[in-house]
Amino acid sequence: MASRNRPRPIRRPLINKEAGGFDQCWATLQSAMTDIHNKNASKLSFENLYRASYKITLVKRGEDLFNKVKEFETEWFHKHIIPGVDELVRNNLPSIALIQMTTSSSHERREAGERLLRGIRKIWEDHNTSMNLIADMLMYLERSCAETKQASVYATTIGLFRDHILKYGLKDVDGSDQPFIILDVVIAVVLDLINMDRDGDIVDRNLLRDITGMLEQLYETDEEKENEKLYTTIFEPRFLAASDVFYKAECEKLLRESDAGSWLRHTRRRLLEEEERCVTSVSNFTKDSIAAVLEKELVLAKMDDFLAMEGSGLKAMVDNDREEDLGILYQLISRIDKSKNTLKTNLQSRVMELGLEIEQTLKNTDFSAPTAAGAAGEAEEGAEGADKPKALGPAAQQTAAAIKWVDDVLKLKAKFDSLLENCFNNDLIIQSAITKSFSDFINMFERSAEFVSLFIDDSLKRGLKGKSDEDAEVVLQKAIVLVRYLSDRDLFERYYQKHLGRRLLHSKSEIHIEKELVRRMRAELGNHFTAKFEGMFKDMELSKDLSTNYKDHIRNLGDDDRKSTELAIHVLTTNFWPTDVMGRGVLQDGDTSRSDCIFPPSIKRLQESFYKFYCQDRSGRILTWVPSTGSADIKCFFPKVPGKESGPLSKDRRYELNVSTYGMIVLMLFNDLASDESLSFEEIQLKTNIPVPDLTKTLTSLSVPPKFRVLAKEPLTKSVKPTDKFSFNAQFVSKQIKIRVPVISSTSKVEGNEERKETERKNDQTRAHVVDAAIVRIMKQRKELTHTQLTTEVIGQLSGRFKPEISLIKKRIEDLLTREYLERMEGDTAAYRYLA
Amino acid sequence: MSDSKYITLISYDGFEFVVLREAALISETIRAMLRGPFREAQTGRCEFGEIRGPVLEKVVEYFHYHHANRDRTDVPDMDIPVDICLELLMAADFLGLDSKPQMRDIS
Repeated sequence: MASRNRPRPIRRPLINKEAGGFDQCWATLQSAMTDIHNKNASKLSFENLYRASYKITLVKRGEDLFNKVKEFETEWFHKHIIPGVDELVRNNLPSIALIQMTTSSSHERREAGERLLRGIRKIWEDHNTSMNLIADMLMYLERSCAETKQASVYATTIGLFRDHILKYGLKDVDGSDQPFIILDVVIAVVLDLINMDRDGDIVDRNLLRDITGMLEQLYETDEEKENEKLYTTIFEPRFLAASDVFYKAECEKLLRESDAGSWLRHTRRRLLEEEERCVTSVSNFTKDSIAAVLEKELVLAKMDDFLAMEGSGLKAMVDNDREEDLGILYQLISRIDKSKNTLKTNLQSRVMELGLEIEQTLKNTDFSAPTAAGAAGEAEEGAEGADKPKALGPAAQQTAAAIKWVDDVLKLKAKFDSLLENCFNNDLIIQSAITKSFSDFINMFERSAEFVSLFIDDSLKRGLKGKSDEDAEVVLQKAIVLVRYLSDRDLFERYYQKHLGRRLLHSKSEIHIEKELVRRMRAELGNHFTAKFEGMFKDMELSKDLSTNYKDHIRNLGDDDRKSTELAIHVLTTNFWPTDVMGRGVLQDGDTSRSDCIFPPSIKRLQESFYKFYCQDRSGRILTWVPSTGSADIKCFFPKVPGKESGPLSKDRRYELNVSTYGMIVLMLFNDLASDESLSFEEIQLKTNIPVPDLTKTLTSLSVPPKFRVLAKEPLTKSVKPTDKFSFNAQFVSKQIKIRVPVISSTSKVEGNEERKETERKNDQTRAHVVDAAIVRIMKQRKELTHTQLTTEVIGQLSGRFKPEISLIKKRIEDLLTREYLERMEGDTAAYRYLA
Repeated sequence: MSDSKYITLISYDGFEFVVLREAALISETIRAMLRGPFREAQTGRCEFGEIRGPVLEKVVEYFHYHHANRDRTDVPDMDIPVDICLELLMAADFLGLDSKPQMRDIS
């Protein structure tokens, strides 16, 4: 009666109900499991087994099946596996109690260890394979398990492996229980082998990886929680601990036996090794943790000790430019400490030490040897004898010192720049640390501003004449670098102005390079700083024009007087030029009458003529003549000496002498004298009104050195005294026609102590005014400020020029209070108000 | 494992069906059957002790239908005659065809 459209009832094949029952199915399965374990599964039909577990599950006896499987496996372990393992362990480890330390050779230990591990691995792999097949067989059961959230068959059986094999407590020879379980043994062997690997023995790394792989697949409980892998909970901590111990010992050994360079290389090698190990022998999972251990034990623990080592530590590395070592050190430190503090502080202190050493060397160096003559520039006072190499006078020695100091500092900077680039990867933190140290020691050295200016002076005068543009560029760069470091910029400005003044007036350097340098200084330090220098350049250009115009003017006047003197003039604007050039420096005896010196009448006429010309186009200006900085070319005629028939003295001699203005004034006096008359020092002084120290210097240069002895001095001593007498030296002979008598103030030399104090005093005065101006400016803007705020503002504003001391600021505030620019605020004495 | 491209599925009443191996592998059971050392894997023949011929025929048809349309979406349902649908359901359950094919974690 079955309609074609109705589902057909299920008709099972005729099977005996009992035959399909639980026990029969189980029997089938059980024998299959045995076969599987014995690797005899090829004759089995999967479908049969699958169907057997299917049937059991359908009659809802799945749980029983599950338990039966567990029982079977447990029994299997005990009957067939454990004895094997026991024997394995026993055969391969002489005594279980001595797992950690053995007396056998490392070779034997390794062999035995590897045998044990291989055995374990085989057991594991076999178990794994079998369990996979069994789980497949019970797949239907598992599918229903998954719905009820029971642990899967596979997980359970793995758990059984863990519980019955790995955690099997070992028995000692006499059958008593040992505290170790097989897992402990396995792990200990693995760690032992790893240590042997580290020592350089060859071990089977694949074996190790398989064992650690096994541990990664085992979990603490059957739930297989991710962070409860046996690898993570048991193996890894022990591994890290053992590594810690190993490397701690290794570090101590390194410290005892080798040097910092080897330590660095060794550490680097170990880091790479352990990273590789995480791929070949243990799990990649551990990579970061083991790196941390290494960093802690090998790098950090004894780093200070290594760096302090004589001959190879940080100091030696820096001094000997051991770039490879420093590079490795930098990489290692960057791993552990992002701010690289240790390296930073060490480098800084080294820079300071080296910087101060430069100063020390300077004090100890003897610059008087003739071989250092290259730095001396023109020979000035103390020059004796025409042709032998001259020993340097004290002033020249000081100049040489300045140049050496700057050179040494620049060399130091170049060294650290190279280190920065090659070893420290141009790291900004290190760079700023080094710069700060440089600034610190440069500014600690009191004469840095002066020396830098002298260096520039020397370079511009001698070094750059005729050099190519690139060479000039290099020198300029160096100069700017140094200027950047100085914090007392106003002091530097003062010195630079002085030196620049001299260079310009005596045409000692190339103008375009000077201008280029000043342009860069302006970019670096601001307009305000370089205004004076630019004014000086302008004056020089204007003066050149003036001179040419004046010449034309004279020619046009038709004053064709052959005997008229040619005038080349420099007109200097007062404020731009340094005060001593302008002749307004304070002399020792307070004599301020420089512009009152008495010129010879012909010269006086010239001066008046020029002044008239100058005032044609300008009104309201005053010109003051500065004889201390000028020079003159004089034609001299020495008639032949009667009574001499041969030799140079028998001829008339004409020479052209180039002397300072003072020299000219003095020499012109002798024109009106009879040849056997003489003038005493005092007479000369009276007639010319030249200040005494200048007069002394002038007369010395004209009468003492044989080369320039146009005046005869009585008595013929080396120094000029007020009682000396001077006369025309008819016997003067010189090989050259054009003779240049050295002008005293044309070289810039290092200031003597007194001069320096003087300069600093003036500088301080200026600073006081600048601070005043800054305070008033700030208060005007802000009306009311507390003392601390005001101080901070002032320091901030003036930082481009110099670093004001707190006491200075305080003093200026007090001063302004008394002058009633400021007043204290009522109730709060540490605050001020601006008084309009 | 992939010895030949085809396998043979046999019902308990003796019907044999030759199937594309790849098509049949959507069944987890068949997949498990064909890996491992068992007899089925070696011979490439799977006997089903509780599935009837016509039912197995439908299953095989399904394998091929699925395989042919495996890259398409919105595939219309296959035609299933009412009178074998109950047995077909049980066979599907047996063969693990009631859920999407999943790859099991094999270590």
